[in-house]
Amino acid sequence: MVRAPRRRFTYSGRTHEAADGATLLAALAGDGVSPLGRSTRYHRPRAPFCGIGQCAGCLVRVNGRPGVRSCRHVVADGDRVESEAGWPSARFDVFAVLDALFPGGIDTLHGFRRPAFAVPLYQRVVRRLAGYGRPPDPGSETAIAALPLRVDADVAIVGGGRSGRAAAARLAALGVRPTLLDRDRSGPDLPGVDRRSGVSVTYLPPPAADGERPYTLLGFSEPACGVLVRARRVVVAVGGYDTSLLFDGNDRPGVQSADGALALAAALGHAPFRHGVVVGGGTRARAVLEALGPSVGAVVAPGEIRPEVVRLASDLGIPLYPRSLVLGTRGRARVRALALRARGTGVGFSIDGDAVVLAHRRLPNAQLFFQAGAKMAWGGGPGAYYPVVDASGATSVPGLFAVGEAAGVAEPFAAESGERAADAIAGTAAGPLEPLESVTRPGPAELEGYYRELLAERPRGRWIACACEDVRLDELLDGSSAGYRGIEVLKRYSSLGTGLCQGRYCVPDALLVLSLLEGRPPSEVGYLTQRPPVHPTPLAALAALSGALSEDARP
Amino acid sequence: MTLPRRDYRAVIVGGGVVGLYTAHHLARAGAGPVLVVDRGYLSSGASGRNGGGVRQQWETRATVRLAREAVEAYRRFGRDFGFNIWFRQSGYLFLAETPAELGRLRAVHDLVRSEGLPSEILDPDGVAAHLDGIAPNATIGGTYLGSDGTLFPFPAIWGLYEAVRSAGVDVALGVEAVGVDVANGRVAGVRTSDGPVAAPVVVNAAGGWSGDFSRRAGLEVPNVATRHEILATEPLKPFLDPMVVRVSDGLYFSQTMRGELVGGLTLPHPPGTSAGMPSSPRFLGAMASALVRLLPRLASVGVLRAWSGFYDDTPDGLPVLGEDPRLPGFVHANGFGGHGFMLAPATSRRVARVVLGEPTDLDPAEFSPARFLGPTPRVAAERLQLG
Repeated sequence: MVRAPRRRFTYSGRTHEAADGATLLAALAGDGVSPLGRSTRYHRPRAPFCGIGQCAGCLVRVNGRPGVRSCRHVVADGDRVESEAGWPSARFDVFAVLDALFPGGIDTLHGFRRPAFAVPLYQRVVRRLAGYGRPPDPGSETAIAALPLRVDADVAIVGGGRSGRAAAARLAALGVRPTLLDRDRSGPDLPGVDRRSGVSVTYLPPPAADGERPYTLLGFSEPACGVLVRARRVVVAVGGYDTSLLFDGNDRPGVQSADGALALAAALGHAPFRHGVVVGGGTRARAVLEALGPSVGAVVAPGEIRPEVVRLASDLGIPLYPRSLVLGTRGRARVRALALRARGTGVGFSIDGDAVVLAHRRLPNAQLFFQAGAKMAWGGGPGAYYPVVDASGATSVPGLFAVGEAAGVAEPFAAESGERAADAIAGTAAGPLEPLESVTRPGPAELEGYYRELLAERPRGRWIACACEDVRLDELLDGSSAGYRGIEVLKRYSSLGTGLCQGRYCVPDALLVLSLLEGRPPSEVGYLTQRPPVHPTPLAALAALSGALSEDARP
Repeated sequence: MTLPRRDYRAVIVGGGVVGLYTAHHLARAGAGPVLVVDRGYLSSGASGRNGGGVRQQWETRATVRLAREAVEAYRRFGRDFGFNIWFRQSGYLFLAETPAELGRLRAVHDLVRSEGLPSEILDPDGVAAHLDGIAPNATIGGTYLGSDGTLFPFPAIWGLYEAVRSAGVDVALGVEAVGVDVANGRVAGVRTSDGPVAAPVVVNAAGGWSGDFSRRAGLEVPNVATRHEILATEPLKPFLDPMVVRVSDGLYFSQTMRGELVGGLTLPHPPGTSAGMPSSPRFLGAMASALVRLLPRLASVGVLRAWSGFYDDTPDGLPVLGEDPRLPGFVHANGFGGHGFMLAPATSRRVARVVLGEPTDLDPAEFSPARFLGPTPRVAAERLQLG
């Protein structure tokens, strides 16, 4: 038997091996190691959460470069990987005492002002505690130098999931050769399609007023190769993600999104836990049960549990807890149990589990639409903004199409929505179309009543409202009661939403909470301006494109 | 919102650092009812979009003095207002690339020294001591003043907002000043999106929108709003203490308390506020390129977000402070050219005196709106503007 090629690398001084093409996170998990981090303010233990390169849960230093996401980094032979969190180590971090010393939170807005002579000392200490890692080693830049990739495309498709691939295949069949920009590195190529794998598109400004290719798509492929695509038309098919939920200790290692659990399970060939508690009662919970059922210990849902999930769970002998308030996790370095209360009745109970898989709320990746200036509308049920589209996926911006989950199209119609956009672009659409079934429903968000009950509990403590910046729910509540209104102001008041995930995992819950506190619908609480880039984009990637970008006529 | 009353001693247009500081000084002086209106949310303008730098190195003596007073005010801010603005006096490092630029910095240095501030001239090794990892031959020298520094702008706004509100000032957010009512040749009130308000004085502290507001009052002014862009990187452990600025291209950046590098550089944009505040691909490329050329090891560091805001520029680079001779009761507190945060504590104290009809030490030739009206030659110009 021929052994698959292995890559050797070191993590914190120990040698590990990885299969060819494996990510660092998968390789370490295969050896039973989880990269442990520490949060920026309270130095709470943190572990991988999202698994899809969006959160700040799995940062490591690779070959002298800080802030590398282990779920995105493909291991190369000889990689030197270090954990930078904590001192002397992430596991035994002396600064973890901060979390215990400040049970009411560290108030950096009002605290550390007195006595005056101590202020410079406070500043030195607080500064040292912040930051994801030491600055890059001198010379580390030579290893990542790369010529930028520049592509001129008739049609650029962003995202290589079901809807994006369907759009690409249809366009190819119609004689248009599209460029498919896929953040995913694996996956098969498509005939007639210029597929560029491993490309993250991070900035899609509004199209230029004129020109052959009015669209500029700016991005990079890891580690730092700049990508610049000019296109005549753009199809955005960037899908969705499983978001977080507010409860005490919602950042404890073991709490992960369904994306994270499924991605890691796919890489490992088994679930990354033994008795996980799945939170959610809809299609996403079903997907987790289908993939990881034997390792699931319980299903808990903020609302009702759909019949197909009930059937699946009872086949597997998994207990169900519908209409439950998730109050908090128990455990030290990792989740051991989940504290719950039946909604309405006030009966509290606890269930054991070594992981909490959040599968209760799936949201669109809407950032690129905001950037491009597309008209957006609040989709009540899921509680998110979606681009306003016609039956072919055309947005309010000429030449910009939104398809699949990113556009709120219900899952079974993802491929069809991609094909419809392709038909509209190629001019082969057959007559007027009925709109595809959508997940965006009018009315209040499904979690609104849930959060109303939770807020009545006066939640105080380690309810982490923004994991990247270690912002607690307390700070939102205090800011709101001090008279600050609107998500833009409370973002600046609390720093919520200013971290690595660009607000993906904190703003959706914050919008619902603020809507209840301010007594107005979430759509009036506002949204965070989607500042570029969508994912942190290396300076080197942008610098390599500076010549080409200097010709950009956009204001 | 509905305004709590319809007559005020003064209406301040603009709820940024300039307007709120002015309201604070008016309230302290017992001026009577004061209203602040702002078209946006709190910190939506340049006061919430700047890089947090506070420096005393300028080309004009009056600006050096105002800035020195502002530094003292920011040192006291935590005690005065109860919010920690993390004002960190870790210096401003100016870089020169040519002998001409160094000569210019030398003149600034001499002026700043003559005001009693211990500015230093640095050779390239001296620069490197403050800027670890600087590329070889990136500079021929520079200047450094350790008492310059950086602050976190948001808590300054919160502190001022809460202070003026508890002093009885009404702050109306989301209310736009759309015009001025004139009676007997002087200001009689302000028309707002929430109806008219009677007031004998209006203070135009509208930052990037101040030119628009003056024009709505029928006053032709030379103020021009120019969009400037800025970005922040992923947070790193501290490695850089001073704010670094470069004369040639207006590059500036510092490392914040949170570890992010925050900065920008000068990039021409069409004047005016109509294009909004987008971020341009051009800026992202130019800024990234400038940073990695100066500090090559930062190549892998990710840009986290970019945004932009408006400078309120004047022809001579100096702010406009004082009553407009064409319209008594119309007081300017604008034209700060992207440096309002640096000067507001000092200028606002004086503008409050203007509102109350008291004398100030501001030289009209340097700061009065009248300097743009007649053939009078201007005495000074401040060209040390960055970003």
